[in-house]
Amino acid sequence: MSGAIPPRRGPDPAPEPPQPAALAPAPHGALERREALRLMGASLALSALAGCEEAPEHGHPLHAPARASDGAAITAEYATVLELDGLSRGVIVRTRNGHAVKVEGNPAHPASLGATDIFAEAAVLSLHDPQRARRIRRDGRPVPAEMLDAAIAAARAELAPRGGRGLRILTGPVSSPTLARITGAVLAAYPEARWHQHDPLADDAALEGATRAFGQALAAVPDLSRARAVLCLGADPLGTMPGHLRHARDWITARAEGRGARLIVAEASPSITGARADRRIPLHPANAAAFAGAVAAALGVEGASGTHPDAAGVAAELVQDRPGAVVLVGRGMGAEVHALAHAMNARLESEAVRLLPHPLARPEPMAASLASIMADIAAGEVTHLLILGANPAYDAPAALGFEAALRRIPFTLHLGFRADETTRLCTWQVPMAHPLESWGDSRAFDGTPALRQPATVPLAEEARGEVEILTALLGAPATARAAVGETWRAAWGESFDARWAAALEEGLAGEAPAGLRPALREDWNRPAPPMPRGLVAVFAPDPGTRGGEAAHEAWLQEMPRPLTKITWGNAALMAPATAAAHGLSPGDEVELELGGRRVLAPCWPVPGHAPDCVTLPLGGGRRAGGPVGEGRGFDAYALRPADGAWTAPGLSMRSTGRRADVVTTDSHHRVDPSEAVRTVAPGGTLPQPGRDASLHPDWPYPAQAWGMAIDLDACIGCNACAVACQAENNVPVVGPLAVSQGREMHWLRVDRYHHGEEANPASSFQPVPCMHCEQAPCEPVCPVNATLHDQQGLNLMVYPRCIGTRTCSNNCPYKVRRFNWADHRRLLDTPARNPDVPLRPRGVMEKCTYCSHRIAGARSAASAEGRALRDGDVETACQRACPTRAITFGDLNDPGSAVSRARQNGRHYAMLGHLGTRPRTTYLARVAPEAEA
Amino acid sequence: MAQIFSPAADARLRLALVIGAALLLLGLGTGFAWVRSGTAWRVGEPAAQPIPFSHAVHAGGLGLDCRFCHAGVERTADAGMPSAETCLGCHERVWNVTAQFAPLRAAIARGAAVEWSSVSRLPDHARFDHSAHTAAGVACGTCHGKVEEMPRTAKAETLNMGFCLDCHRDPAAQQRPAGAVFARDYAPTGEAHALRPHGLQSFRYEHYGVEVSPLTRCSTCHR
Repeated sequence: MSGAIPPRRGPDPAPEPPQPAALAPAPHGALERREALRLMGASLALSALAGCEEAPEHGHPLHAPARASDGAAITAEYATVLELDGLSRGVIVRTRNGHAVKVEGNPAHPASLGATDIFAEAAVLSLHDPQRARRIRRDGRPVPAEMLDAAIAAARAELAPRGGRGLRILTGPVSSPTLARITGAVLAAYPEARWHQHDPLADDAALEGATRAFGQALAAVPDLSRARAVLCLGADPLGTMPGHLRHARDWITARAEGRGARLIVAEASPSITGARADRRIPLHPANAAAFAGAVAAALGVEGASGTHPDAAGVAAELVQDRPGAVVLVGRGMGAEVHALAHAMNARLESEAVRLLPHPLARPEPMAASLASIMADIAAGEVTHLLILGANPAYDAPAALGFEAALRRIPFTLHLGFRADETTRLCTWQVPMAHPLESWGDSRAFDGTPALRQPATVPLAEEARGEVEILTALLGAPATARAAVGETWRAAWGESFDARWAAALEEGLAGEAPAGLRPALREDWNRPAPPMPRGLVAVFAPDPGTRGGEAAHEAWLQEMPRPLTKITWGNAALMAPATAAAHGLSPGDEVELELGGRRVLAPCWPVPGHAPDCVTLPLGGGRRAGGPVGEGRGFDAYALRPADGAWTAPGLSMRSTGRRADVVTTDSHHRVDPSEAVRTVAPGGTLPQPGRDASLHPDWPYPAQAWGMAIDLDACIGCNACAVACQAENNVPVVGPLAVSQGREMHWLRVDRYHHGEEANPASSFQPVPCMHCEQAPCEPVCPVNATLHDQQGLNLMVYPRCIGTRTCSNNCPYKVRRFNWADHRRLLDTPARNPDVPLRPRGVMEKCTYCSHRIAGARSAASAEGRALRDGDVETACQRACPTRAITFGDLNDPGSAVSRARQNGRHYAMLGHLGTRPRTTYLARVAPEAEA
Repeated sequence: MAQIFSPAADARLRLALVIGAALLLLGLGTGFAWVRSGTAWRVGEPAAQPIPFSHAVHAGGLGLDCRFCHAGVERTADAGMPSAETCLGCHERVWNVTAQFAPLRAAIARGAAVEWSSVSRLPDHARFDHSAHTAAGVACGTCHGKVEEMPRTAKAETLNMGFCLDCHRDPAAQQRPAGAVFARDYAPTGEAHALRPHGLQSFRYEHYGVEVSPLTRCSTCHR
């Protein structure tokens, strides 16, 4: 891709400021002398104005707490949980002056182990979203809360005599014991009522496969710390599988100890697990069942059959590593493949997978649940519909016609976080409380329960939770806190008070259930008819917006997707060969047709994609909810079959002859790949260069000399570090127009490299923060000494001195410096900002500081305790977020520190080390599979 | 053709140039003096507060210790403001003028914060840690002035970068022994100041043969 692509229209969260007319080029050619003088005068006046806009330093509010018990709470931390697909991961929310400013992982929680993902990091942003719903509305008009209470009371009076006939409750996936208990109470009070669940990202085939294999809905949870060989059939344990943070940590811990699992990934659409695979097989969906059958047959599973050229080799690897071998199946595979995998794991006697009771309160096929409510609506049996937290008008397959059906129901109530597609069609529109400001409980991927507690006072005072709506329907309104307390009082009995306090302190409310050892049923093997040939549509969650519920998080929209580097939208992803066969080049607009429904999308070839299929990322083309997400990319739900299938044959694709808008950072900040990433064979080392001779004297570092080491063998490209950096350092979002001009502001970027053949390349990721070079090329070229070295080896950026020549950025070989083309301070100066990091004005350069505010804070804390800084006292935001602990930070003067030990590793190297910059941020080489060694 | 310039024109030009130069110098001098004066930094200007609070009464008259209300000054970066409960703890009993304390009662009722106006606020890009300064033996009055004599609290020093650097270049002149940091009637006794073993002052830092104190490096105060 080259050149700027015209960006998508629509209001941007941070629109580019209009160019001052005086500074635009003169319409008729060369400037005349007078014109030049006038312009100079204008720009001088502008600069004088810019100098006067200092924030007033007088009369700023100084917040004093109301109560003495809050006195210490200038900075406070709360252990709570956030949900993804209904399953929780533990987080610690840091608040300043009562405002949540940062989310970090809870080290005690089994689904986090201290790490976060991009969605957890962005919770702070959505909490403070100015676009969130705040008022209770009836048909769009704000009404007093009492009117809603009266309407629910009237509905109760109408429903109670007929046993709740006509009442339907539609929720997202529910793992919360309290919500399940309250819903159970509603169903008991209204026996004719029905509860339905809807999750566009649910993998119904997994549930069906487990039911076929064991006769019950179990969850197969891998334990990658014990695995030696993992075959992923479309599974993405490092990326989108529930418990991904835990799986990534388990995988890297074992790998670092030399007993890591060999990842064999067979998938159609490239995932980050595929990028980290030791062996990757691009697998067309139509061949998936045959491949799985062939592997199973080679393993000796009775009744399995199939042929595939790669199957025998894969099976041999699995057998060799028995019982540490495991087969994982992900979205896009049929129930028969899931059942087959259970049979294979049984045959392998795998110790690396646990069969657990399903963590959801009522596991059920979500597509069937939605289909049955659609049938009831069509039959006119639904009079009252409560949609709690789901958005089916957008994320149900368009083929179902949910929007039209919704209009036929007399009483509709939508509890939603923002005015989305479903809200607009419902009579009662109730704002939903944010997870960071409300009580609740939840279960992790392995069933570990935890309490959710508010970290801030409610920012939307009229907001309610599911529990408040349902208890009102029961006629016994209860607060969420009371309901959660009641659930756990029943579970804990006498010891409630102590255990409640401990659960809030620790962020855990119990243990994971024990694994089950059910026997395989006789009739598990029910092969499906083969998929017809031809172009196949593969639906997939978008790595940035998931199913669309994260589409309104500006941080996530602007974060380049790990493999495609696309921001602010999505594209139809396909193999380069498929694109070539259709005569398409990147960015061409195509018309996709499936089952008579059409959608326009940009074409984007992705190396490693299986040929003859097209990945359609879900979550684009939002039609409501706010300017950040609306109209970004195309809406793949428009093509999704009514049964919510993850793959659908019969796709047709043709070029419209137009170019489409794709904003990508793929070509930005290029560094020669052969110089940037290195690989070694397992156990191999890199030649360690001697110290370059330099005419400059060395800097002395009497106390600490901070340094960072990033292990490329551990990096999975998940972007958690980059979003954590954005949250911690008040990094602005610039919008698609500025990104297409190369003006994104991320202090930490994750570069992605493909090596080898285009059809199935090896991929690697490289996080690139500022290198804090010992001989920094940026320092000598600054005319005003705005970037300089300090006594701890930090390469400092003095914002008030910077006059914006951008020479430093030009001279930086790593391209890590970012220039403020616009003044973003007004948009950033919200309670969500980190008060420890200043906002940068327009016209100054900025870059990674190694979280110098955290260094200063740790030094103050240590000094107050009367001790020197210890290794581990300073954790940068990126390091804290990383699921695989790829980033190490510490004092290079201390030979025992983790970063010093990392530098002694044989895989250690400096990026562009031959330039003699002697960077402080260095890398450990990726360990390449034996095949390449 | 008549002369364009009269014989006096030259003299008038010179006079104009001299006057112009003098005015320019005067302007520059005035500007220079103004930005260095307290007026430009709003020294002595009290800010509007939610309650007519007098440090002169509390700290001066009653002799309350600074830490009674600003409890975080030895532990945290922010000195901390007294909670509404701290104020009302005494004022339930003495000087219980309901109207004056309405903002405090409202804060307790709503669980919200009392919004005092900051008098000595540093700009966003400056980092200041009260605990580090009190531990290094810097008294409150060094920056805040004689607060105990102020009926309405006002800024006592410019708190500009020059003010900070004056002290960071020669800290010993302002440092007190550990026990005397909060004393109001301290007279220098020549006793050694409180040097912290792990503070920035304890490192020597030399580059190109020039000794630079870590206390004057940019990153010490700027973020």
